[in-house]
Amino acid sequence: MSASDLPTKEANVLKGHEGAVLAARFNADGNYCLSCGKDRTIRLWNPHRGIHIKTYKSHGREVRDVHVTPDNSKLISCGGDRQVFYWDVSTGRVIRKFRGHESEVNAVKFSEYSSVAVSAGYDQSLRTWDCRSHNTEPIQIIDTFADSVMSVCLTKTEIIAGSVDGTVRTFDIRVGREISDNLGQPVNCISLSNDGNCILASCLDSTLRLLDRTTGELLQEYKGHTCRSFKLDCCLTNTDAHITGGSEDGYIYFWDLVDATVVSRFRAHASVVTSVSYHPKDSCMVTASVDSTIRVWKT
Amino acid sequence: MDERDLVFYGTPIEREEELSSRKKKAVAEASGQLRTLPTWKQEVRDEEGRRRFHGAFTGGYSAGYYNTVGSKEGWAPQTFTSSRKNRAEVKQQSILNFLDDDEKADMEGRSLATSTQFDTFGFTASEVARKQADKEQDKRPSAIPGPVPDELVLPAAESIGVKLLLKMGWRHGRSIKDSSTDSLYDARREARKAFIAFSSSDDTKSNIDGDANHENDHSNSLERPVNDDNLSSQYTALNALQPKQDLHGLGYDPYKHAPEFREKKRSRVSGTQGPGNSKALTISDNLFGSKSGKAGPGFGIGALEEYDIEDEDVYTTAYDFEDTVVQEVEDSSKPMTDHKHRLTWKEPGILPGFKVASISDYQVEKFNAPEVPKDFVPRHKFAGPLKVEDKTAVPPPPDVPPPQDSNMKVLIEGVATLVGRCGKLFEDLSREKNQSNPSFGFLMGGNGHEYYERKLWEAQQKYKDQKKLPLPSDGKSSQKTEKMNAENRGKILGERPLERSSSSLVSPDVNLQSNLSDTFMKPLQFSELPEVSKPFKDNSAKQERFQQFLKEKYKGGLRSGDSGGASNMSEAARAQERLDFELAAEALEKANRGQQSNLSAQQSMDFLTSAGMQFTSAGVESKDTLDKDFEMKKMYPKREEYQWRPSPVLCKRFDLVDPYMGKLPPPPRMRGKIDSLVFKAEFIPVPRIEDKTGQNQNRSSGGLQSSAQGVRDGSADEEEDEVVVEFENVERPVDLYKAIFSDDSDEEAETSKVSKVEDPEKKVEVANATLNRLMAGDFLESLGKELGLEVPPDLPPYSHTNQNPSALEKETTGLNLRDGSSVKMVAEVPKSMDDQSPPRGKLDEVKVVKITEEDRKQESPPPSEDRMDRRHSKRQRRYDNISDSYSSSSGDDSDQDRYSSKSKGRRKKGSSSRDKKSSSSRKHSRRRHHRGDESREYSSSRSSRREKDRGESKREKRKRRD
Repeated sequence: MSASDLPTKEANVLKGHEGAVLAARFNADGNYCLSCGKDRTIRLWNPHRGIHIKTYKSHGREVRDVHVTPDNSKLISCGGDRQVFYWDVSTGRVIRKFRGHESEVNAVKFSEYSSVAVSAGYDQSLRTWDCRSHNTEPIQIIDTFADSVMSVCLTKTEIIAGSVDGTVRTFDIRVGREISDNLGQPVNCISLSNDGNCILASCLDSTLRLLDRTTGELLQEYKGHTCRSFKLDCCLTNTDAHITGGSEDGYIYFWDLVDATVVSRFRAHASVVTSVSYHPKDSCMVTASVDSTIRVWKT
Repeated sequence: MDERDLVFYGTPIEREEELSSRKKKAVAEASGQLRTLPTWKQEVRDEEGRRRFHGAFTGGYSAGYYNTVGSKEGWAPQTFTSSRKNRAEVKQQSILNFLDDDEKADMEGRSLATSTQFDTFGFTASEVARKQADKEQDKRPSAIPGPVPDELVLPAAESIGVKLLLKMGWRHGRSIKDSSTDSLYDARREARKAFIAFSSSDDTKSNIDGDANHENDHSNSLERPVNDDNLSSQYTALNALQPKQDLHGLGYDPYKHAPEFREKKRSRVSGTQGPGNSKALTISDNLFGSKSGKAGPGFGIGALEEYDIEDEDVYTTAYDFEDTVVQEVEDSSKPMTDHKHRLTWKEPGILPGFKVASISDYQVEKFNAPEVPKDFVPRHKFAGPLKVEDKTAVPPPPDVPPPQDSNMKVLIEGVATLVGRCGKLFEDLSREKNQSNPSFGFLMGGNGHEYYERKLWEAQQKYKDQKKLPLPSDGKSSQKTEKMNAENRGKILGERPLERSSSSLVSPDVNLQSNLSDTFMKPLQFSELPEVSKPFKDNSAKQERFQQFLKEKYKGGLRSGDSGGASNMSEAARAQERLDFELAAEALEKANRGQQSNLSAQQSMDFLTSAGMQFTSAGVESKDTLDKDFEMKKMYPKREEYQWRPSPVLCKRFDLVDPYMGKLPPPPRMRGKIDSLVFKAEFIPVPRIEDKTGQNQNRSSGGLQSSAQGVRDGSADEEEDEVVVEFENVERPVDLYKAIFSDDSDEEAETSKVSKVEDPEKKVEVANATLNRLMAGDFLESLGKELGLEVPPDLPPYSHTNQNPSALEKETTGLNLRDGSSVKMVAEVPKSMDDQSPPRGKLDEVKVVKITEEDRKQESPPPSEDRMDRRHSKRQRRYDNISDSYSSSSGDDSDQDRYSSKSKGRRKKGSSSRDKKSSSSRKHSRRRHHRGDESREYSSSRSSRREKDRGESKREKRKRRD
């Protein structure tokens, strides 16, 4: 994919959130997108047609992260109210509330079969929640982190989480070991490459770092954007050819994966770009910002 | 179709003609029969022509509804109504229920009652009044539910008797019988009336254009019943009862002790009950008035909800609401009294009979702000360089030619410089000291005294100047910017003056020629730094930056944004460098202080350079900042691996096989404070003690500046060694249990014995440590005996088959060697720990990583029981065949060393990012490994692998050492 195929044209603006939008995520097939924000709501959109479909209200404070199962039937969300909410998508009802985090919950993800949700909290812990049984206690609490856990990713056998203590820790369930990669800088957000071999970690020194997962080697660093105080998302494009991420000045950056050059940058939002999410198949991207808008970008 | 086949529902409509015909017939019959038929044949029929009387078998006589169940609607089952629910609705039958229409019509107008005209005793009137009261009571909410008691309701209209009495001269409240009291009563009454009139008129006067009439009336009406009550009990006609409008209990008087407030309230009530008010208004007012105090909270939110901005707003509006409503009512009713009421209400605390003073003695004292002079400029300007001591300074002594004796001149100048720098005290001291020395005669006013005076003054000036001189690099921001001239520039650049021109006049100004010339010899800012204090000699740019840093650190003043060429460095590199500088500066300071102590500056600088070596980069050749970044990259990311136990449920949910299936659950993670505390407390002093010796050792062994590679061989041992020392001091007291039952200590004890035998010339510390170990070993031995653990001396599952004695020899010699050299590393530890992100040499890094990896592999001591057995067997063997036991034990020991070095390496790494908590938790996790290993004896393949690993690591180590 060449640089010209990058989604740089604004296709739709999704408006509806009041206040900052903290996360925007495509669903598994990329037909819908979910957003959540400071207004305590989760919203379901059709980003391609620019339609607001549904609003999920139940959170008591801001919603920081949301994730949807591959079959689009359930949602998991978390936020400032220290709870993880397990939703039914169609009815909009909360199926279960998982309480246990001692502080705000920063991120949450479903496991592959949507049987477990893993949440990362400001209380320096990862908690795994059982979505199958009626048990609302966490299955396991991982608290080897030394600071707030900002982001979590799941593979089939591993839980990967990035923390402000500068580490990206991989918990391999199959082998039963923990691999800690210390980056020396607070890790804001981690993102898996589509081939699953690399981790992209956004650090608070305005640098994205690409790590090889097997060796823990630093493959590349991507600089140019500003990321010093906010939690900004980053991700790889669907082809793994480029890396994209927001900046605190409202810009969106595209880097070449291999030579780390800034391929494209443009002003997308009036304020901090909090979240970026790339379409799983097409050249399409949604970005969310503090300016309460979600923008859909296509080629 | 036959009619019988059909089913008819409902009642067929009676045809009009039929009904009318029957009626006509009946009428005709009746009239005709009445006239014609005899009495016994006449039939009673109703107006419809129906027969009214039947025989007994056909229902007697028909009354009301003919041949029906007795109701117009026909038969309808009565619905059951519980009398418990609605008792009041029980119907009372009256005669009217059983009467026909005509009978009712007959009864109309025949009820007997006295007309009001002739209501002599007022019964009818009282009846009417009662009814009225009932009606009113329905409308008006009352504190007491139910109908008004009869006794309270009295006829409003006067009975005819009363009227007659009145006509006869009787007055209300007067006894009919007793006429003698009348006159007295009348007199009193008149007096009272007059008083009331007076007071009320007074009242109106005090009012601002008050509605006098109303007030008067009102007070009369209020006064009268009360007074009448007092005077005549029996014949009182209460014109108006005071309805109970408040919600107080019966007989409770809230104004019992504060009657003045009662007045106030009454006036307020009367204000709203004026003649202009409609009834609805008074009611609404009562509602609001009685509840106004409680209206606010009613609008609030639940006690459990958090307060929000909106919620708070609710409260504020509630109070406004109360206020405005009352004002509204008053406004609509009486604009005149309204003013007064509002006044009295708006100012709480003003009692009736008092008014607000217009002039008061009480005044808030005001102090005017100090006047600012007109020519004041709110920004301070420095007229020139600050000269604090100039006022006290004596005029400079005249410049005198130096004495001919050059020695004398040098001496004088030296002493003057010293005194100038150190103060008068030095002069006094030296004078005392050299009382007899003729060459110091200039101090006592002898030969060359003038020259000395002059020199001293110059030195003093120079010193002051130096102190005061703003830093040249801060030239931009400092106030001396405009003073920048050739001389200053020269000072900054360290230029050598062309020639000292003797012709230049010595002005009282500070710019002395000699002063300048002196400072030109060396760059001013670092004249006080010894030459050795240039840790970054090989990198001039860096050295420059370091000097700048030093200046900023010790001299203060404004920081320049751009520090010499550092702008093109990356943020990380700059931070890195800054850390280096901090370190170097600290070392320098120590060096300066250390001049009293045994440590020479050179020594500390040596240390510094070594530190610098360690913290900057591995190679001397890489000095660029880019390389630094590279170093950063080399350093991070750092990979570490730990054991982690996923919960079985998690594995199940992830569809994975639990890697720890069938293993014992991990022991409860206890985060005891004691562990960490002991750990810290014990750890810190160790390097302190060993500091000096370590440095000595270090220097003697060639120092570090040779190359990192050169030191490397030793450093591998050092790494182990330092841990041994540390281990001794740290781990032992942590838990006795471990000390007893794990084989760590045991094997160490053996090792120490080995080393002791082979190396009698040991350091005291090591000897002490060994003693400790021995004691521990003895203790263990005795304990083992007590427990009666006599086990056949079989070999432990991992016998060191792959170790040849030569390697062991090496191991032990390594052990011997390290004692001295180890300390260096220990001394360095606190440095790196203080450092947040210490830039470490490449090799160092590699080493650490390697070792941790080894540790990973190594952390598999045999199960504890097994250990016990082995220990016994080993001990026996030790007594039998010492060398044999040596071989095995020393092998173990090396493992052990590496094992314990893990903690070291961890700590080193962890110190940067991890806090106490996490480090302690790590420790626990390590302990968990121990436990986890107990179960490992089942899997022989694992242990064999471990063996292989160990062998490999050993080989690797050997290779490195070679």
